[in-house]
Amino acid sequence: MIHTMLHRVEFENLRGELRRGCLVLAVLAALRDEECGYTLRKALAEQGLAIDEGTLYPLLRRLENQGLLASEWREQDKRKKRFYRLTGEGTQILEQLLGEWRDIDSSINAILAKQGARSWN
Amino acid sequence: MELIERYLQAVQFWLPKQQKADIIAELSEDLHAQIEERESGLGRKLKEAEVEAILRERGRPVLVANRFLPQESLIGPVLFPIYTFVLKIVFLAYLVPWVLVWIGMMTFNSTYRAHQLAHSWFEAVGSAWSSLWGTAFLAVGTVTIVFAVLERVQAKSHFLENWDPRKLPAVRNPHVIPRASASFELIVNAVCVVVWASNMYSPVTMISEIRISVSPLWPWFFWGFLLISLANTALAGVNLMRPYWTTERAAFRLLSDAAGAALFCWLLKANILTGFATANVSPERSVEITNLINMWAAKTFPFAVGVCIVIACANVYRIARLKTPAPGLTNAPSLGGVR
Repeated sequence: MIHTMLHRVEFENLRGELRRGCLVLAVLAALRDEECGYTLRKALAEQGLAIDEGTLYPLLRRLENQGLLASEWREQDKRKKRFYRLTGEGTQILEQLLGEWRDIDSSINAILAKQGARSWN
Repeated sequence: MELIERYLQAVQFWLPKQQKADIIAELSEDLHAQIEERESGLGRKLKEAEVEAILRERGRPVLVANRFLPQESLIGPVLFPIYTFVLKIVFLAYLVPWVLVWIGMMTFNSTYRAHQLAHSWFEAVGSAWSSLWGTAFLAVGTVTIVFAVLERVQAKSHFLENWDPRKLPAVRNPHVIPRASASFELIVNAVCVVVWASNMYSPVTMISEIRISVSPLWPWFFWGFLLISLANTALAGVNLMRPYWTTERAAFRLLSDAAGAALFCWLLKANILTGFATANVSPERSVEITNLINMWAAKTFPFAVGVCIVIACANVYRIARLKTPAPGLTNAPSLGGVR
């Protein structure tokens, strides 16, 4: 029981570490189209990448400070909302990060394929 | 929705002044959007308990605010291992001896014990405990402040990033005895034996124009010290020829150190000095000074016991280390037949 709980905690920690970098990529990719915080959160959740507001808003703020995002307060449905979108610099960085992402993905796949071939022999 | 306003106010309290309004406006918008969506799904207004559940899910205000704050630490990950290492040194080199000396004083120094126990044991222990905590607090506080300052300096100058792999210390094998140290021990012990044997046998010695006389117990101390010095000379000779520790030699060192410590502690309590005579000191004054020297020798006894315990612990640790297989560096120099 305790072992299972520890295993679960360990898994959650590692999962959190793995997701952290991916979320930046997901947020940048999703903001190629303009979104406000709440709709962005919903869109990510619908794609299977649920992110809580305590993580999303500080992340948006950090990416904006880094010049990768730009934001603007506008009124929509009788409420003032803040809309985010990718900047030119953000677009370039996103392309580079996606390149990295594909490289990592193919490396991991290659490692798994090699191990799979070894275990089959 | 008073509950939401109260929640946002509590979050706002912890936020940096310049960003308060902006962050709260955004959080407020997100909260209201979530509530509105939930209400349109249910087709009614949310009850207070349901709003409460949403807020609870979002987390304690201070934690929510904390995520917007820059990550700060008093001592960062670069310096933290060094900081804990220094704290361990402070603990071992300062606080442990402090406790040992206090126990020694309480055990062997009757004046100190009487003073401490003027009221009760409880008060004596309480007073020592609070004094120890004061000392520990000061020591840990000082180390922490120094490292906090270093952290700020490191953040600006990155002085820890400039390092040279060639300046790293050589691979150390704790079982190897450096030849320089064995040679030094051999010379010091041999000189001690010669000087001691040729000058210290007589219970009456002349140093310059001072005639010093010691107690009739002196021959015991003389022969005891001579034997220990001879044993240490022999051990240093063997260590020079075969420069690595073995369990037998480490045990021999423990015995010789224990015997030396016992002899020295006994000497401090033995009123060994019986008198001295010199031209410009009257006999009465000479007796006074003799008594004073013996008294101070006796007073240093607890400290000597403390030092002896530390030496004994170091010897025991050496033996224990020899009995435990060393982990780690597989390419460390071979011990060449150490058992």
